[in-house]
Amino acid sequence: MPEIPVIQQIEDVTARMMDDLQRALKKPPSERRWGMVIDLTKCTGCEACTVACKAEHKTPPGVNYNLVIKTEMGTYPNVREIFLPRPCMQCENPPCVEVCPVSATYKNEEGIVVIDYDVCIGCRYCITACPYGARSFDFGEWYTMGTPEIAPYETAPTFEYSEKRVRKDDASPIGNVRKCNFCIERVHEGLLPACVTTCVGRARLFGDLNDPNSLVSEILAERSSFRLKEELGTEPKVYYLT
Amino acid sequence: MGKKQKSPLQTKITRRDFIKTTAIVGGTAAITSQVDLAFRRVASIEGAPHGDKVVPYPLNKAENVIYSVCLQCHTACTIKGKVLDGVMVKVDGNAYSPMNMLPHLSYDTPLEEAAHYDGKLCPKGQAGVNTEYDPYRITKVLKRAGKRGENKWQAIPFDQAINEIVNGSTFVDGTKTPGLQEIRAVQDPDLMAALKKDAMAVAGGSMSLADFKAKHAAHLNLLIDPDHPDLGPKNNQFVFQAGRIEHGRKEFGKRWLKDAFGSINFYEHTTICEQSHHIATIQVTNAYKGKGKWAGGKEHLKPDFANAEMVIFFGTGAFEANFGPTPMSELVTWSLADRNMKMAVVDPRLSKTAAKATWWLPVKPGADAALALALGRWIVENERYDANYLVNANKAAATADNETSWSNATWLVKIENGKPTRLLRPKEAGLGDADAFVVSRGGKLLVVDPNDTKNAVEGDLFAAGTINGIAYKSALQLYKEVTMEHSLSEWADLCGIPVRQIEEVAREYTSHGKRVGVDMYRGPVQHTNGYYNGQAVLMLNVLVGNAGWTGGYGGGGGHWHEDGSKAGPFNLKKLHPGKLGSFGVTLTREKWRYEQSTLFKRDGYPAKRLWFPYTGNVYQEIIPSAAAGYPYSIKALWLHKGTPGFSPPGPNPTLQAIADPKVIPLVIADDIVIGETSMYADYLFPDTAIWERWGTPHTTPAIQVKVSKFRQPIVDPLPEKVAVFGEKQPVSMEAAMLAIAEKMGLPGYGKDGFGAGMDFNNRQDYFLKMAANLAFGDKAGGAEAVPEADEEELRVFRAARAHFPKSVFDEARWKKSVGNDDAIWKRVVYFLNRGGRFESFSKAYKNEKLGHPYSGMFSIFVDNVAAGKHSGTGAHFSGLPIFEPVKDAFGKVLHQSAEEYPFQLFTYKEVTGGQSRTVSDYWAQLNIAKENYVYMNKLDSDRLGFKEGDVVKLMSLTNADGMWVLPNNNDRAVAGKVKPVQGIRPGTVGVSWHWGHWAYGAQDFVIDDSLVKGDAQRGTGLCPNAVMIDDPALKNATLSDPIGGSAAFLDTRVKIVKA
Repeated sequence: MPEIPVIQQIEDVTARMMDDLQRALKKPPSERRWGMVIDLTKCTGCEACTVACKAEHKTPPGVNYNLVIKTEMGTYPNVREIFLPRPCMQCENPPCVEVCPVSATYKNEEGIVVIDYDVCIGCRYCITACPYGARSFDFGEWYTMGTPEIAPYETAPTFEYSEKRVRKDDASPIGNVRKCNFCIERVHEGLLPACVTTCVGRARLFGDLNDPNSLVSEILAERSSFRLKEELGTEPKVYYLT
Repeated sequence: MGKKQKSPLQTKITRRDFIKTTAIVGGTAAITSQVDLAFRRVASIEGAPHGDKVVPYPLNKAENVIYSVCLQCHTACTIKGKVLDGVMVKVDGNAYSPMNMLPHLSYDTPLEEAAHYDGKLCPKGQAGVNTEYDPYRITKVLKRAGKRGENKWQAIPFDQAINEIVNGSTFVDGTKTPGLQEIRAVQDPDLMAALKKDAMAVAGGSMSLADFKAKHAAHLNLLIDPDHPDLGPKNNQFVFQAGRIEHGRKEFGKRWLKDAFGSINFYEHTTICEQSHHIATIQVTNAYKGKGKWAGGKEHLKPDFANAEMVIFFGTGAFEANFGPTPMSELVTWSLADRNMKMAVVDPRLSKTAAKATWWLPVKPGADAALALALGRWIVENERYDANYLVNANKAAATADNETSWSNATWLVKIENGKPTRLLRPKEAGLGDADAFVVSRGGKLLVVDPNDTKNAVEGDLFAAGTINGIAYKSALQLYKEVTMEHSLSEWADLCGIPVRQIEEVAREYTSHGKRVGVDMYRGPVQHTNGYYNGQAVLMLNVLVGNAGWTGGYGGGGGHWHEDGSKAGPFNLKKLHPGKLGSFGVTLTREKWRYEQSTLFKRDGYPAKRLWFPYTGNVYQEIIPSAAAGYPYSIKALWLHKGTPGFSPPGPNPTLQAIADPKVIPLVIADDIVIGETSMYADYLFPDTAIWERWGTPHTTPAIQVKVSKFRQPIVDPLPEKVAVFGEKQPVSMEAAMLAIAEKMGLPGYGKDGFGAGMDFNNRQDYFLKMAANLAFGDKAGGAEAVPEADEEELRVFRAARAHFPKSVFDEARWKKSVGNDDAIWKRVVYFLNRGGRFESFSKAYKNEKLGHPYSGMFSIFVDNVAAGKHSGTGAHFSGLPIFEPVKDAFGKVLHQSAEEYPFQLFTYKEVTGGQSRTVSDYWAQLNIAKENYVYMNKLDSDRLGFKEGDVVKLMSLTNADGMWVLPNNNDRAVAGKVKPVQGIRPGTVGVSWHWGHWAYGAQDFVIDDSLVKGDAQRGTGLCPNAVMIDDPALKNATLSDPIGGSAAFLDTRVKIVKA
């Protein structure tokens, strides 16, 4: 007699993480420490995260808050392909912040590295300073520029940083540096980042690293993990499981 | 440096009359150069506008959500459309549905709560917003204003188009089109029935042609060919050819074409997808219905990925294509990472699934049967099959062993002239007259009735003997002999997989009892030997007896019935007053035995083209058959959401045919854009996009609970609104059909179209009845009806639809579509509020068994197929899975020189690509990549001196120039950039499917003398189909699988040269 199917014993991972969020949101912001855990054994390289992020933030050509780096390893027929999603690392010691001449980008009290679009002057020093290539510049381009009309999704309002903005003319965020902010405006509503909810392999996890009972903390306690370029001392809050 | 690029508004003005305009575009951005911006920002910090600080996030409000169903690929995932100011701004997964959550929300979860949950969704689904608002969508009817394919158009009023299509018209180049009115020769249902009965009698030989002609002398002119009455009435010369069409629209279309217009020729596209996989599964799972009839087989079974301990994917995977990434990925990643499930992937390319597999088996394309038979040989030789399962010869024996399925492993097959022919019958064995079969038990022959629930019969697995002079062997014995035709090392050479790997995979696969399974899809079956490959793969499941078991193999949870045939309030199969009906040999000769036609009496073997007794929807044969006039020519063709000049293998001759008004006098199309083939139409109707229309797609067997998904409009359709039967509605496939019905007076439309008091004036009149049936359920008395919406549910329902104009949403009118019944309406609202209905996840499993197990038999020897003959040779098909070389329509082995054409070409789908409809997805397909590539192993590219990025051209036996030949347009080379990699089998070359467009917004076109510029980034890369070989026996179409009907996408050898 086979054992009872394991699948019956789990709840949807996002439902669990949304419960975690409710606990975190009850705490003062300074006591939260948002982090992301990406299980590389579960990433299928589909880039649903990349596209969901674009859809959530209506980012233009050249601006990808997230991407998935694909690397083929080995020699035929012993070949593997590794998929590594790359959001902003939300470093504890963010090199991008130091170089900003106008303090437009800073680490907020929840540990998220944010950009104040209305202060950013578009000098792009931070792009150079970021060791992860997580930042890009909004040159004011449009996907549907060469077509009969700019599609309405390119000019639909977005809610980044809980601000309603319509990207048009020369207004921010055009002319600003842009990056992932862990969808903090969603998180404050008790919602998970768009890349996390849409992940079809359930490789992406999100939660409060300060809460030992959060899924991300539990998993980091159980599994071995690494962070990108740890030797730089940036202390990223994005952890990868292998 | 100034503002260099002109405002998009300027180009828009030239075409605003026929391409949609949207209010929100009013504030279109001015585009400035990069340098400008950088300096400008520095200079104007203080003047930078602030956003509205801290606004409430609106996208998790139930009032901004409509649940529907995606169709960026055929997985058709349940989705959650988020709407702001009437614009669909984001798409996510529907948390009520098991496709998007694991487990999904309880069905009674309040709407406000559910709105907080965004279910998972693949990149194509996420990019649905891009397809919906594609700037190249058409909104008015276009009429050809140049030659076909020249891409010159005139926007015309809808009513003018309908009038010209019904009554005929003349074009600027002097061509005249016939009207549908003259094609609809038979209009009287009684006459149709009488002609059908006697024509069938002539075909069957029970009536002479002379008698037929005498009896129907007055009506012979209504037939296509009075000498061959079985070809049917002239009505059949109007053909409907759909690409992607699904349940809901499919039934809508068949009711119109087959039942009201009276043409037999309604087609889907399945043979260019993976039809032979369906046909192999159906034939292997058919139930015996008595009198030699087999029916009721399942078309698709899948392993229970969530609980399996080992799975093998043949020519498919879990993370790209298949059925599909959204529901399947998590089941597999979770099992791999958290349960240590083992996985083998058979694919010449290191797919994303193979990248995570324990074993990657880079098989030689088309040699899947060799690998499957090698695995089978090892399993049989080492006695690693489930003998307790296989001895069960009928249902009673299965039940006694706590099994829901059984097989014909032990049934005896007659051996004639040394070859297995048909199943042995009791009468032949001297065992009486029972309509049953025979097994050997301890050498004694016994009668077995497969469906007997009382008398358990077991048989000997390996039996052979003679009875009444008839030699026999058991089916498993014969299967064993097939696997023994080659040694393991010979099989290994044939399939290109080392013996060691074959043994490892076979051992692992048979080390987990019933918690294993083999999945297959397109890879093994898009070959001329596709059916046999599929059958050989399926055997691996049968040998371990995994069907019905948790972690094993099953058909999924199934669905409720939208047609009302079970218990729902509207039985749509019957609600058709004045139904005309149709009959005759189908244009593709599908579902028809050649020997039972009058053409067989005329021509004998070989038939001029293949006949397909076991399959349907033979897409690649539709236009080529019409062009060849076999079995008859046609007068009119309607292309719906399909592109037969682009998507089948070797379609150059198809393009020549469709461009020629002498071959196909009238071509109608409906499409959301001007597509690769729809650009050859005489009239092009704008269609509603996925997020604007209705449908009832069925769900994948990867889902273990019962699901009825329901597609409904999320946003106001962009096509213009027109009046049909006095009601305003968006132009669409449905509106065009209804308007033609109105113009021609087709039965079953307009006032009382469904019956007294039930009008059929618009699309909702049809689809809301389906919603009512699904909300009611399949049990009498409403025992499983969904709850009625309460006031809050009704409020949210209305609020979420406040952005629709009355022509799309009118509550009183919708309610009328379901009979003005308050209870029915409130159930429909509850159902629509959730985008369908979804059984509780608790029903997925019953401990060690699947909650909805497959219950039936498996044929190892498929008697039904063994009974049929190849129309090119007259030879019987094999009842056993065999390994066959590539053959043409006359059954001749096809030779392609490996010296001249060193590479075997295959195609595949990227996870960001659908068929041809995702090139408008700027966030996905066009963001993740800029083009596709010619993938080859680095060993091969080094040998040929190709470097990454070199542009190369592909050429083949039947396309020596390597060209797409586009009539009245610019030809295009089958050329692309080389990408040398390690993850592909040497000697093969792989090209993904979604690129190489010459239309779909990639090319300029002219409407009303105004030039509309195409977007060059949509025309990059290559589509390799043009070099796929055409059948030398047919000349004008690709090779096909004579049993499963699949088009041979993967049977072409190519040479590759620098372009």
